[in-house]
Amino acid sequence: MPISQVPFAGISNPVNFRNIVINGDMSIAQRSTSVASITTTGYYTVDRFKLALNTLGTWTMSQSTDVPSGYGFASSLKLDCTTADASPSAGDYMILQQLFEGQNLQYLKKGTANALPLTASFWVKSTKTGTFILELYDQDNTRQISKSYTVSVSNTWEFKTVTFAGDTTGAFDNDNATSLQFNFWLGAGSNFTSGTLNTSWASAVSANEAVGQVNIADNTANDFLITGVQLEAGEQASGFEFMPFDIDLGRCLRYFEKSYEYATVAGTATGVGAILSDGSVGALTTNYIMGSYPYKIEKRANPTVVVFDSVGTSGKCSREYVGVSSSNNQDATLWSNNTSKRLTLFSPSGDNRTNILFQFTATAEL
Amino acid sequence: MYKQTKLIFGQTEPSFIIRTIDNAFIPFDPANTDYQEYLKWLEEGNTPLPAEENN
Repeated sequence: MPISQVPFAGISNPVNFRNIVINGDMSIAQRSTSVASITTTGYYTVDRFKLALNTLGTWTMSQSTDVPSGYGFASSLKLDCTTADASPSAGDYMILQQLFEGQNLQYLKKGTANALPLTASFWVKSTKTGTFILELYDQDNTRQISKSYTVSVSNTWEFKTVTFAGDTTGAFDNDNATSLQFNFWLGAGSNFTSGTLNTSWASAVSANEAVGQVNIADNTANDFLITGVQLEAGEQASGFEFMPFDIDLGRCLRYFEKSYEYATVAGTATGVGAILSDGSVGALTTNYIMGSYPYKIEKRANPTVVVFDSVGTSGKCSREYVGVSSSNNQDATLWSNNTSKRLTLFSPSGDNRTNILFQFTATAEL
Repeated sequence: MYKQTKLIFGQTEPSFIIRTIDNAFIPFDPANTDYQEYLKWLEEGNTPLPAEENN
């Protein structure tokens, strides 16, 4: 049968890579599967999901196996409140977000008469019930739109869909910088809640962004779990677009890569996975030794690099006389020709060895 | 807090700044969000520590 005659029966939307969200099933967690005592903004566990947090409780973030049963998901992202803040100050906020490069969004035709609507779909399980705010924030043009959804039953998986109109004003830049923020508000001070919820695209006004948002930081009993996050063009949510693990990982590597084995947290005392520079046997030196590594996937930008020696000391490398002797805590500095494609490390001086060995993380997140 | 990097052979000017909290090398790339934060930190009137003899 010709491919053109193969029916798409049962496939609600056969378009590949329709999900703008990367790692929406929370399957990839390169940095760690659990991080405690979170009080500030950062990328902590599940790849590509950033927690924007400004003095609103203390949290443990983890990759959880608690998932909606029977829908094909194996992981969720879990936020567990460990220190509560029931009275947010005006400027406090807590937002789970993913940021998108403008060059991946051009097909949405934003800023034209043909701008496409976007539909978000996701599974959520929250101790705290009530109104939650989902927001699209156009960082290029400082425009935004917010929609509310309701968590009806405490600690129960619920499926939600939210549709946003297309925006005929303000095109996304065609580059590798953040153009669109996809924001799951989880708590907000009055700076973000004192106006009227802005449910149509408009110039951003902070007071209109998160009106009605409940505060999930108000009790240490509160958990918030989410998975199956999809954002796609159109006014209907299609089935979640599952990707093979290697495809999802490859997309995440554009933003974060490490030399360690997948399940090993950076800074762990291990040489497994470490980069060993080429060297000449017997050519011992106390001076410069160089090691270079081509990234598995070109990074979004020239990345921030942290190097470690084999016992996990950051900013240092190990100098090796392979098979004979090894020294840790040796000087290390990046060479000036580092790019989004390649890491080159120097140990400018140190113990009398032939090679250097180092672990690394390379971060080019939005 | 940030610290300047020591120049090594062949380098005439630094191309990274070190973030001292985690010893991260941050490249002078306008698209790098850590570099953007560093520039904001400078705008607030801060000054990076000088390079140490061994860093």
